[in-house]
Amino acid sequence: MKQKKPLGLYVHIPFCRSKCDYCDFCSIVPNSNSVIEHYTDALILQMEDNSARLRPYLIDTVYIGGGTPTSLDEKRLARIIENIYRNFKIAKKAEFTIEANPATCDAKSLRRLRKLGVNRLSMGLQSVHDNELRALGRIHTFADFRDTYEAARAAGFDNVSLDLMYGIPEQTEKSFSETLSAVTALEPDHISMYALKIEDGTPFARRKDALVLPDEDAQFSMYMNGVEYLASRGFERYEISNFARGGKYSAHNLKYWHSEEYFGLGAAAHSFIDGERISTTRNIRDFIDGLEIVNNDINVIDSKVAVRGEALADDYVMLAMRLSEGVNVADFNAKFGIDFNEKYGVLLDDYVDDGFVEKDERGYRFTSSGMFVSNYILSDVLGLDEE
Amino acid sequence: MANEMNYDRSKIRNFSIIAHIDHGKSTLADRLLEATGAVAHRDMEEQLLDNMDLERERGITIKARAVRLDYASPDGSSYVFNLIDTPGHVDFNYEVSRSLNACEGALLVVDATQGIEAQTLANAYLAVDANLEIVPVINKIDLPSADVDRCRGEVEDIIGIPAEDCPAVSAKTGLNIPDVLEAVVHSIPAPEGDPDAPLRALIFDSYYDSYLGVVVYIRIVDGTLRQGDKIRLMSNGATFDVTAVGSMEAFGLKSRGILRAGEVGYLTASIKNVSDTRVGDTVTLADAPASEPLPGFQAVHPMVYAGIYPEDGARYGDLRDALEKLRLNDAALTFEPETSTALGFGFRCGFLGLLHMEIIEERLEREFNLDLITTAPSVIYEVLLKNGERVRIDNPSSYPAPDDIDTAYEPIVKASIITPVEYVGGLMELCQDRRGNFIDMKYLDAIRVELHYELPLNEIIYDFFDALKSRSRGYASLDYELSEYRPSKLCKLDFLLNAEQVDALSFIVHEEKAYARARKLAERLKENIPRQLFEIPIQAAIGSRIIARETVKALRKDVLAKCYGGDITRKKKLLEKQKEGKKKMRKLGSVQISPEAFMAVLKLGDD
Repeated sequence: MKQKKPLGLYVHIPFCRSKCDYCDFCSIVPNSNSVIEHYTDALILQMEDNSARLRPYLIDTVYIGGGTPTSLDEKRLARIIENIYRNFKIAKKAEFTIEANPATCDAKSLRRLRKLGVNRLSMGLQSVHDNELRALGRIHTFADFRDTYEAARAAGFDNVSLDLMYGIPEQTEKSFSETLSAVTALEPDHISMYALKIEDGTPFARRKDALVLPDEDAQFSMYMNGVEYLASRGFERYEISNFARGGKYSAHNLKYWHSEEYFGLGAAAHSFIDGERISTTRNIRDFIDGLEIVNNDINVIDSKVAVRGEALADDYVMLAMRLSEGVNVADFNAKFGIDFNEKYGVLLDDYVDDGFVEKDERGYRFTSSGMFVSNYILSDVLGLDEE
Repeated sequence: MANEMNYDRSKIRNFSIIAHIDHGKSTLADRLLEATGAVAHRDMEEQLLDNMDLERERGITIKARAVRLDYASPDGSSYVFNLIDTPGHVDFNYEVSRSLNACEGALLVVDATQGIEAQTLANAYLAVDANLEIVPVINKIDLPSADVDRCRGEVEDIIGIPAEDCPAVSAKTGLNIPDVLEAVVHSIPAPEGDPDAPLRALIFDSYYDSYLGVVVYIRIVDGTLRQGDKIRLMSNGATFDVTAVGSMEAFGLKSRGILRAGEVGYLTASIKNVSDTRVGDTVTLADAPASEPLPGFQAVHPMVYAGIYPEDGARYGDLRDALEKLRLNDAALTFEPETSTALGFGFRCGFLGLLHMEIIEERLEREFNLDLITTAPSVIYEVLLKNGERVRIDNPSSYPAPDDIDTAYEPIVKASIITPVEYVGGLMELCQDRRGNFIDMKYLDAIRVELHYELPLNEIIYDFFDALKSRSRGYASLDYELSEYRPSKLCKLDFLLNAEQVDALSFIVHEEKAYARARKLAERLKENIPRQLFEIPIQAAIGSRIIARETVKALRKDVLAKCYGGDITRKKKLLEKQKEGKKKMRKLGSVQISPEAFMAVLKLGDD
């Protein structure tokens, strides 16, 4: 039997109970069950449309993200998951993640998810301080979170990731270090620690001038102290914003950063497959109509671009440099037939002396301070539009 | 020829319109064109005499223009009017004076809502100096706040000319315009001059036409000029064969074959360069020259210098071509190549004044589609060196080392400011702050005052006019003329970024002002230099002495913390945009500055 190729599968659930003030992800607060029902139907139609295409692949990571996937009722969520198994070949040991927000799931629903094969939870906590959670427009308190977290452990989830944020309104360096110590005391398996970014079109962007946010220097110390503290508690920073204990990296996200193939289902989902980057419409109505009425996957595609050669090499470097391991020069040269040192290395060398980049016989990687200014450096180093 | 028969000097009237800016000079000119039938109302573009778009937009006349009007008076006679428009700004005073010398009279337009302003007075004095008959015209009488009687009173009291019966009009609506035409006939004398005497013609304007060569506007003072004559320019002895002579009509030139004493018109002679035909020069015949030129010719010299650089270094050639094209029409504009380590290749340009500079910049950007970086404007200093040599400095980079300087001199102007009395305090403070030397103060009437100050020119060229306007809610007006060079304690202020001197930021400043300016500019630099991966010290120095310092802190955070569910394109676009922005940066040693930041710094006022 022919060996199947590995593939990551992403499924987008664009619904939330309420919209956070900073969020610009594709998600809506549904005003009726009908839109959820239609979306679920469309999603399943899209799976069926792609079932044959993905037959040569063995899916070894599944990631259901949102929005808030757990804001769906148990029955619909179960239907979606069952259809994933029905339409695609999922590896026995696949990492199967679902994003879960506190107060949208309970012991019962978590047990059911676990039974359906979900083995990893990614929970949005953001902060342990209720005033900061309110300032972000979150609907839960830290106490709510703890209940859900304990229910998840009780339901048998032995791989739980928590999302934290720094640079948020009302936060101080002290309150952030309190968040870190309270969170590590819960002994999660994985932590994502993101800087708040004010995105255009969000409520935060509209009242940007009124927001009191920690400045750049404060955010820098939060990050650096965070990295150091988490290391002391056994969390290895393996990507700019991601930390794992006991080697429990996010296998799905690593596919993005390793430029491996993945396939996205649902509105606003992205795929990288057969050398093409495909994005799906962000408009939920268009997504539903495209699949239900025309019943053809092609109608929901927003863009489809073949990426190859130097552009692909740029992407690879941009993504690999997010990782602590950085770029392995030998791997890169073999993969692209381009001399890494000649094209990128000479430019990265400029940043070695100042301690932003580390270089050895294996390759190049950012230091912590380099990661924190990585856009600045990458915009110098990558060829980008010059190609 | 018909023209020969039409020549009747007693029926010619040569006059200008003079006014303070915005008092309606160009609108009045338009109405006169219309009323004499030179232009039909439907063809009327607003302010026809102002040819350049820029002039029409800014509502100012940059260069003189002239037009011939045929006027049939109700008394049954026909008259030839030559209306010579003049620039309304102090930068162009010399051009104004030459235009006035081509006339016998001037219409002095006074805004009935504003009364007499600084330039009204300055222009009236110029007209008096040129022995012109002044006919006041009170304008804007249609406005509710017009006070015609007060205006008449001011004209009589302040300028000292009768205004009891002068025309009161609305150029905008056309009200009482016939009164103006009759006043021209009856109040302004016909020109004198002998058509049989040796030719003496005054050049009062010229422009370059790509088909005709330079078109020279002249007033024949004595003698007769015909097509085919060989002429000589008396200032430089250059000779040319006249290809055409004629008159300026509302819609273009009209060849007439001959011009005689008292007439105003143009000549063309295959002249390639406007700098050959300087305003104020005398044209005579090469074969039968006049013995003496007309009095009053001066070569105009730039008063203000600045470096102009293309934002995109690759467009240096385009900038040179554009400057050459502008110089074809503007003998007062000078430029020489200059290099700056910070800005690359550009030009050191000389201007008559700040307005002239702004106009040139704007025309370069607008008509030639160039993006420019302009260094801080500088006046010309004179420095007596210890070795006895006296040098003129128009560029801070050529300022001698402090040890070599015996005495430095700076240009001083005599300034006249007319202001409502309630702003006197604030304006005196402003002048004091700009190192002004109070001369006197005169009450023009119960509510307005004329202040006289001596001020260093370099204190005026940055933002004095704006400061004047803001401290007087726009009511104060300014006029000035260069008076002399005086010894002054000057020094050159340099700026260092990351310990490297940035030549384009240097300027010459009075010692008293050096500290404040250094601090201000260092702060401005700090605000405008984007954070980079290293800390950037900013230092201001006189010689080797550091007098101000600031620090741009190092960039700490520039990261996309979250890479969205597989959306690689979004992150890449962000980096592409960033790279694009960096390409526009100027590298000053190891420091990168965006052109916008550069301009924010260079356009410094002392606010």
